[in-house]
Amino acid sequence: MSWIKEDELNLLEKISANVLKAGPMPKHVAFIMDGNRRFARKKHMERQEGHMQGFNKLAETLRWCKHLNIQEVTVYAFSIENFKRTKDEVDGLMELAKQKFLKLLDERENLEKHGVCVRVLGDLEMLPLDLQELIAKAVITTKSHNKCFLNVCFAYTSRYEITNAVREMAWGVEKGLIRASDVSEALLSECLYSSNSPNPDLLIRTSGEVRLSDFLLWQTSHSCLVFQSVLWPEYSFWNLCEAILQYQLNYKSIQKARDLHQEHQALLQLEADRACVAEHLQHHGNGKPADAQRRQEALLHYTTCREERIQDFLEALKHKRDSYFSDLCSKDVLA
Amino acid sequence: MALLYGLIWRLLLILVHINRALVSWVRVRLRSWIGRLWERAIAALLLPLALAGFPDHQKKLNHNPDANAVTGNRAASRRSRWLSDGRSLEKLPVHVGLLVAEEEPSYTDIANLVVWCMAVGISYVSVYDNHGIFRKNNSRMLEEVVRQQQDLLGVDGSKYNVEVLSNSCDKHQHYVVSCRPTVKVLSPEDGKQSIVQAAQQLCRAVENKERSSKDISVSMLDVLLRESKNFPDPELVVKFGPVDSTLGFLPWHIRLTEFISIPSHRNVSYEDLLNALQQYGSCQQRLGQ
Repeated sequence: MSWIKEDELNLLEKISANVLKAGPMPKHVAFIMDGNRRFARKKHMERQEGHMQGFNKLAETLRWCKHLNIQEVTVYAFSIENFKRTKDEVDGLMELAKQKFLKLLDERENLEKHGVCVRVLGDLEMLPLDLQELIAKAVITTKSHNKCFLNVCFAYTSRYEITNAVREMAWGVEKGLIRASDVSEALLSECLYSSNSPNPDLLIRTSGEVRLSDFLLWQTSHSCLVFQSVLWPEYSFWNLCEAILQYQLNYKSIQKARDLHQEHQALLQLEADRACVAEHLQHHGNGKPADAQRRQEALLHYTTCREERIQDFLEALKHKRDSYFSDLCSKDVLA
Repeated sequence: MALLYGLIWRLLLILVHINRALVSWVRVRLRSWIGRLWERAIAALLLPLALAGFPDHQKKLNHNPDANAVTGNRAASRRSRWLSDGRSLEKLPVHVGLLVAEEEPSYTDIANLVVWCMAVGISYVSVYDNHGIFRKNNSRMLEEVVRQQQDLLGVDGSKYNVEVLSNSCDKHQHYVVSCRPTVKVLSPEDGKQSIVQAAQQLCRAVENKERSSKDISVSMLDVLLRESKNFPDPELVVKFGPVDSTLGFLPWHIRLTEFISIPSHRNVSYEDLLNALQQYGSCQQRLGQ
């Protein structure tokens, strides 16, 4: 029932892993771990047991990812939409989560040994306070680890995440840290819960459903999507290899699309900066149209100032987020 | 050792490509073989009936000098078949997105798909490619759709008037949306960029002290994003091409969208689309519960 499984891969698995590693490997894989309840029905067990098996499969998958040098994994554990389920099931899931986070804190030495950093992404204020405190402890305890990263999306939906990012930028504007004209795609990405991670290279959904269900909609716009029909608790090393192979087959074309998008983004930023500079020069100029050199200097100056503003804003945002966790922890200490 | 693994990996990729090519070749062959078999069977069954049972109708057809009536009849029968196909599906999406993840798109094939979607009873169809080619050639797309409409649905196809909504700043092309089937041409700008623009709008309102940051909610952002689009979220996206990615297609709107893939949009058939719609019909959405 542990978070960390330490077994090695068997010979065949090792060989397959080495073959796959000859090609481009995803550095960040996201999982929609779907199918626990269907698995439970299929095996005639209780739903809660299905969810427990699901957690075991997660621990196993993390082991495989470690052997495949996949440094970062994000999983969709609990959606805000899941609050609509029966009170019994929701309470059961909250209880399971509490047990698992307690276990995580028990295993903190092991986590340190393997360098596992655990982050929890979502609208955590929606969760019961005792669970929030456990999560805060887990996050703070593993914060400095940097060998591999596990992001657990709990009380999460992508639309809430994007809205929260917009709210944070508006907060920055309110505080006078940034201007409305500083809002850009890059800045929005920095304000998401997942800002500490690169975008996932590969998104895997199990149980045969072919939708995203409000998971990482922004971050996976240029990711390889693989839908597999196996139920999550039955996921195997070979299913993972199959998904990675799909990623490798798509690698070149997706990379090309990503590069195109980034080029376009850079162009948009440059145009936006130019527009701001032009407006500024018009207001503060002496009526004569500015020459090219003056415009260039003004552009450079503006861009530098904008980047400084954004850095300060992001520092303030980071501080706000860290305080949320440390306040929860200290509350527990005082209690 | 690394060299050996590299070789095996390359071999594996080649095997997968061969496998895919074989599968699609077999599928095409099977379809045309079954199609020919079916035509022959129908001809064999119906020919005696045609010769024996309906002399009057036969005479009328033979004596009718107006070829349009014949094609009109064919188009009318096609239209009614497609409409009944649509009705027979368990559920029909209100908005279908056609995501073309292939280089050098074929306007005729896309136009066919659009016309079939409308004929089957789908109210909103959007067309997307991640290079923005469709958006740049908006008018060409419109012409092609109108032309295919005439070909496939006949002269009476005017019932299915197409409204091609382009960028809202092109005022002369922006019609008032009615209940008629509507086509929208999308590009990556309609995705993340429009979310950023909505964010900028809200931040400007905050800057001007018209609003507080705490007011910003999911429904507020949703309304803003829907304002310029006026479309319901796509329930189904049919993806054409070998790339397994959404390539920036409307990130906000696809939270519950089903994704069904068809290998290519070139020479795509009505049956391919119908299969995708049937697959969609059997999907079960639990909506978190």
